Amino acid sequence: MQRRTLLKSALFAAGLGSFGGLASVASAAASKPELVDLLKVVDDRQRNQGDWRSNVYIEQKEKDKVAVVYEALVFRRSADQRFMILFTKPKSSQGQGYLRIDQNLWFYDPAVGKWERRTERERIGGTNSRRSDFDESRLAEEYEPEDSGEEKLGVYTAQVMTLKGKPGLDLAFPMIKLWVDKATKNVLKRQEFALSGRLLRTSYYPKWQKIYSESRKGDIWYPQEIRFYDEVEKQNSTLILIKSVDLKPLEANLFTKAWLESKSR
Amino acid sequence: MTAFFLDLRIAWLSLIEHRRRALFLGLAVAAVTALLVLLNGLSAGIRSTLVDTATTLSTGHLNVGGFFKVTSGQAGAVVVDYEKVKETVRKVLPELDFTVERGRGWGKVVSDTSALQAGIGGIDIQREAAFKSVLRIKSGNIDELAEPNTILLFEAQTKKLKVKVGDAITISAQTTRGVANTIDCRVVAVAEDVGSLSQWNVFVSNDSLRSLYQLRPDVTGAIQIHLKPQYVNDLGPLAARLRSSLEKAGYRIMEPDPRPFWMKFESVTREDWTGQKLDVTSWEDELSFMMWTLSALNGLSFVLMVILIAIVITGIMNTMWIAIRERTREIGTLRAIGMQRGSVVRMFLWESFLLGVFGAVAGAVVGAMTAGVLNSANIHVPLSVQLFLMSDTLKLSVLPSALGGAIALISIVTAVAALYPALRAARLKPVDAMSHFG
Repeated sequence: MQRRTLLKSALFAAGLGSFGGLASVASAAASKPELVDLLKVVDDRQRNQGDWRSNVYIEQKEKDKVAVVYEALVFRRSADQRFMILFTKPKSSQGQGYLRIDQNLWFYDPAVGKWERRTERERIGGTNSRRSDFDESRLAEEYEPEDSGEEKLGVYTAQVMTLKGKPGLDLAFPMIKLWVDKATKNVLKRQEFALSGRLLRTSYYPKWQKIYSESRKGDIWYPQEIRFYDEVEKQNSTLILIKSVDLKPLEANLFTKAWLESKSR
Repeated sequence: MTAFFLDLRIAWLSLIEHRRRALFLGLAVAAVTALLVLLNGLSAGIRSTLVDTATTLSTGHLNVGGFFKVTSGQAGAVVVDYEKVKETVRKVLPELDFTVERGRGWGKVVSDTSALQAGIGGIDIQREAAFKSVLRIKSGNIDELAEPNTILLFEAQTKKLKVKVGDAITISAQTTRGVANTIDCRVVAVAEDVGSLSQWNVFVSNDSLRSLYQLRPDVTGAIQIHLKPQYVNDLGPLAARLRSSLEKAGYRIMEPDPRPFWMKFESVTREDWTGQKLDVTSWEDELSFMMWTLSALNGLSFVLMVILIAIVITGIMNTMWIAIRERTREIGTLRAIGMQRGSVVRMFLWESFLLGVFGAVAGAVVGAMTAGVLNSANIHVPLSVQLFLMSDTLKLSVLPSALGGAIALISIVTAVAALYPALRAARLKPVDAMSHFG
């Protein structure tokens, strides 16, 4: 990523952050069905109804620590909600991976040669990112929306929604506040809260990219860049870059423990 | 009987006769005994500090903890409906002195400037007088821990978090259902560090812990069982009885696993079951990750003891060889006037044994006194040593049984060391011995 592009993205995030709370826009409250429909649109725009392969770059910055940078391959299959991450860099993490089978997330470490069951709250690679940040958006299935008005985020007019997790689902965050661009229906900003109501994480989505999906016979959108700011440990932040998205069908036996293990041999 | 006293008297007189040599050898034996007593004292001191501190801060002599799994992949270290479990425990364990309920958690403690991962203990401070007596409070008021959303930290933790009494911190954790949650707490007390236990333990009120983990009032982390003093060494049989009784009462029990509860999350999460399973552990299980320090010290003590005993044996044997050589004519005369070979052996053995007893008693007294002086000096040790000693000061525990053991061991070793030279002396022919010049 070019330095100028990074700077632009950071300025975008900073701009959203500083104007977000100030510029409320007076408008009629959206009804719940309207909000559910909007969430479905947000999800649908990102769903390619097929297979997905991408390279991701994850950078974790923590106070008084050297920044940690990971590179990984992300694989997804819409049909049965399969999901897999295979770390390729740094060398110490090479071959490690996460695999979602049914409703369980498994972690594999080739150094110990064991699979461990993890939860949806698992911090991927110890960073502030979660499995759901890399997976297909399923907001309409997982959350109930409530209207929180409209806000101006820089030059964008955003529909703000407060999402509450549906009972019985294994979710990373019980409550989310979501800013959706009214014009494009892209997510601009997210805030994730603890059960106590405390803000845990703020995310910015400064760059969206579209790509043609053969399986869907149309364009789909994905965030090229996501920036997470830890709101509990204020000094920590995470950057995710999603690159080289490929929507061609993947091997049938890809989402298996054996496949992931074979990659570390 | 007369022969016994005669042998003893000859041995005693011989020691007096060769008092200079006896004095030097006795001093060496005393020094070795004193060293042995101090080594034992250090090992026993660490063990007793570990037991005292740990059984007050983080575990009972025995514990009934366990896991509740909402789904097979989501485990919480809790005991539901704990009053009923406690009732069963009381019924089947008359050796029990008292019980306390402690919340168990693991989370991130975050200040404005820093953060640390810590085990979060939920405590009912009004019911736990022993807890207050074990901790030395540096600042604040420990009784305020009864108020909701308050926290007790240890000194090293406040330095890392850069907080003091009155400051606010946040604890971030996941509820037993795996939902992210936080509580904001006010620091009400800062306690002096108690070795490695204080590195990763913080304490909040039981209610605060329940609110963080969204637990019902009938749920606790573990029932800590404190036994009457005479039963604290019978942990194995008592734990086995408790396990089988709880099983008979209808509870599902986890297989014995000598690891602390927080090390079991991984294996429990991997297992395919839901609901409650109880886990009976001892304080040794819960602190197994720290017991290596004790094992290492015991190993080191053993090696040192072997070396010291080897030195004693060599010294005694060498001295006896010299004595026999010097006293060859004396042995010949004694044999010529009718002393049997057995009496010659006994005479030398008694001589060596008496030397051992006097040396060992003197050494034990010096060792015990040195330990007393070191304890009363309250010598502060550096942090790295604190982790090993489980205390911020050097503490030695010299038990009467250990003193008796050291005296007996050294006395017997010195006597045995003289056996071979004594046998060689007894084998001398009276005529050859009397004509010996040397």
